Amino acid sequence: MNAREIILEVAHLFGGYEEQEVLKDISMSVCRGEILVIVGRSGCGKSTLMRYLLGLSKPWSGAVHFEGEDIWGESMDVLRRSRARWGVLFQSGALLGSLTLLENITLVLNEFTNLSLKEMELVALRKLETVGLADFARSYPLEVSGGMQKRAGLARAMALDPEVLFFDEPSAGLDPVTSSELDHLIRSINRTMGTTMVIVTHELASILAIADRVIMLDGESRGIIAEGTVRQLQVESSDRRVTAFFGRESLNASGVTSDVNGSE
Amino acid sequence: MSFDDKVRSTSAGLAFCGFLKAPDVSLIRSAFADISLRAKQHVVMDFTEYDGMDTVAASGIYEGIRNLERAKIDVYMNGLLPRDQELLASFRRHEQSLSAPRRSWSLKDHFEGVGDDVVASWETARGLWVFSKNTFSALVRVLTTPSLFRWHLTFYYMEHAGVRAVPIVGTLCWLIGTVLGFQAGYQLKSFAAEMFMPDLIAYSITWEIGPLLAAILVAGRSSSAFAAEIGTMKVRQEIDALEVMGFNIFEYLVTPKMCALFLVMPALVLMADFFGLLGGLLIGGWYLDMPASYYLSRLNFVMLPIDFWWGMLKGLVFAVIIANVGCYMGMRVRGGAAEVGRATTAAVVTAIFLVIMADALISLIFMEIRPTVQV
Ligand SMILES: Nc1ncnc2c1ncn2[C@@H]1O[C@H](COP(=O)(O)OP(=O)(O)O)[C@@H](O)[C@H]1O
Ligand SMILES: [Mg+2]
Repeated sequence: MNAREIILEVAHLFGGYEEQEVLKDISMSVCRGEILVIVGRSGCGKSTLMRYLLGLSKPWSGAVHFEGEDIWGESMDVLRRSRARWGVLFQSGALLGSLTLLENITLVLNEFTNLSLKEMELVALRKLETVGLADFARSYPLEVSGGMQKRAGLARAMALDPEVLFFDEPSAGLDPVTSSELDHLIRSINRTMGTTMVIVTHELASILAIADRVIMLDGESRGIIAEGTVRQLQVESSDRRVTAFFGRESLNASGVTSDVNGSE
Repeated sequence: MSFDDKVRSTSAGLAFCGFLKAPDVSLIRSAFADISLRAKQHVVMDFTEYDGMDTVAASGIYEGIRNLERAKIDVYMNGLLPRDQELLASFRRHEQSLSAPRRSWSLKDHFEGVGDDVVASWETARGLWVFSKNTFSALVRVLTTPSLFRWHLTFYYMEHAGVRAVPIVGTLCWLIGTVLGFQAGYQLKSFAAEMFMPDLIAYSITWEIGPLLAAILVAGRSSSAFAAEIGTMKVRQEIDALEVMGFNIFEYLVTPKMCALFLVMPALVLMADFFGLLGGLLIGGWYLDMPASYYLSRLNFVMLPIDFWWGMLKGLVFAVIIANVGCYMGMRVRGGAAEVGRATTAAVVTAIFLVIMADALISLIFMEIRPTVQV
């Protein structure tokens, strides 16, 4: 990770809900092409931070820069242009239930490109193939399993070849095997397409499998308590909260076990 | 010829440059359109100076190549990155599984469509009939076993379907009474027969407008609400849960709504009659200089109690229709949230349709049995 280009940067961000401050003086950055994992216990503000990264809410103070531009700058234009280059996978996949998997993707393409129907379907099929769902193109979301819905959501998030992909708890509600398949998929997309990934999770197995770099949030101090590679956090950190999180795994540092279920 | 710095026409074909992205698709299209005009036997796509392409741009290029191939022109690619070779190859693989192109409109399809609609309406009618029979037997059970009667639910729906409909039913009937009185007065004046205006108002309001307007408004407000409520429960598997817990769906979800409408509809009809007649009275005084005492005595003279009773009886029939259609459309929901929207629309349209049909039938009977008043 030597002096790579910073694509997304957060500077001294404060935020929360109404009276309740959730994030306090957060500064962090995401480098192009890396997989950054944001971890922390439930309720510590991971999803809230994600909302700020995506520009879904405006921070109380501080700034979020995408490629050097403030997404809350003078005009909303920056945010709109940035969003066209982002993809998001929501927790449940958030597919439209009345459309087939294929149509869920062509819907996005139809909105943002001027492709013909045939071209849109080719792109959509290609994306479904990438996530291993080409045979289910004509199925409706309710007709496929939860893991497949997640993968289809991922295919839709990738429809426009985004430069940054955001995931909020991608493995929530999935069994360990399906969840590790999704991890492999994320890893391989990152390798082949060079997509930058920002992933919120509390699944230790996922973190070990995919993270290039980890940022750990803490609910009490409402800030970042640790940052670095998995190795650094596992071995070098002396913070009690960090060792508690990675603790159980440090006994077998190989990092390929899939029977660990995170911090809760 | 140059289209941009990204796509250039060369003597042999096209040359690409830089990283090709979604916004470049139009460029790519016009470049291919141009080359297909001048190409002879073969063209060369020169990718030696490009950096890559995203999937959207690739689909544009693929479609361009396919068009050339279809025109029997050989396409050679030069310097395409392995990644993108794989991408184009995957498009070729997927091409067979594309949707069949939409067929153009034909008379046969049209008749088939009409046939399908007829079958669908028939299915709906039959389903509604079966549903109503179930409702009826549930109703009999509930009425014969008072402990099964759900008072709090019935009161809840009486308030929402009945009491809250009072302002709109009252206002609209008053307005219609006014308009009707004005129109009647305007026409009758030319025959110097405006003193018969109350007759016209009395009959049209109590026989038709009052019951019908009340029913249409209740259908619009409540049959859609019933359909949405039950449809949403269905989508969220709440109905399945209730059933597994041993609830009788009809007794729990349908009969309270039905009983509520049954109790409030006659009252709403009576109120609609009152406001309609009031509208006539006001416009009579204002436009025809008709004293209120004359208007009232005239009403008293031409109207029979059966006029009111019959309207309220209509209200009961309409209550049965509206409650059953609303609940049936809700129960019919399969699948997702979009279905709920469709169900509410279907509930309102079907309920109003059936209400008007029933109204026409009942009016025919009424004409037979009502004693005539000698004027
Ligand atoms: N919409 C909201 N309104 C008010 N408080 C919220 C809302 N969403 C989350 N919170 C609070 O903010 C804190 C952080 O929540 P969240 O970011 O969802 O945590 P995480 O995703 O890490 O589990 C929690 O204490 C939660 O109660
Ligand atoms: Mg969360």
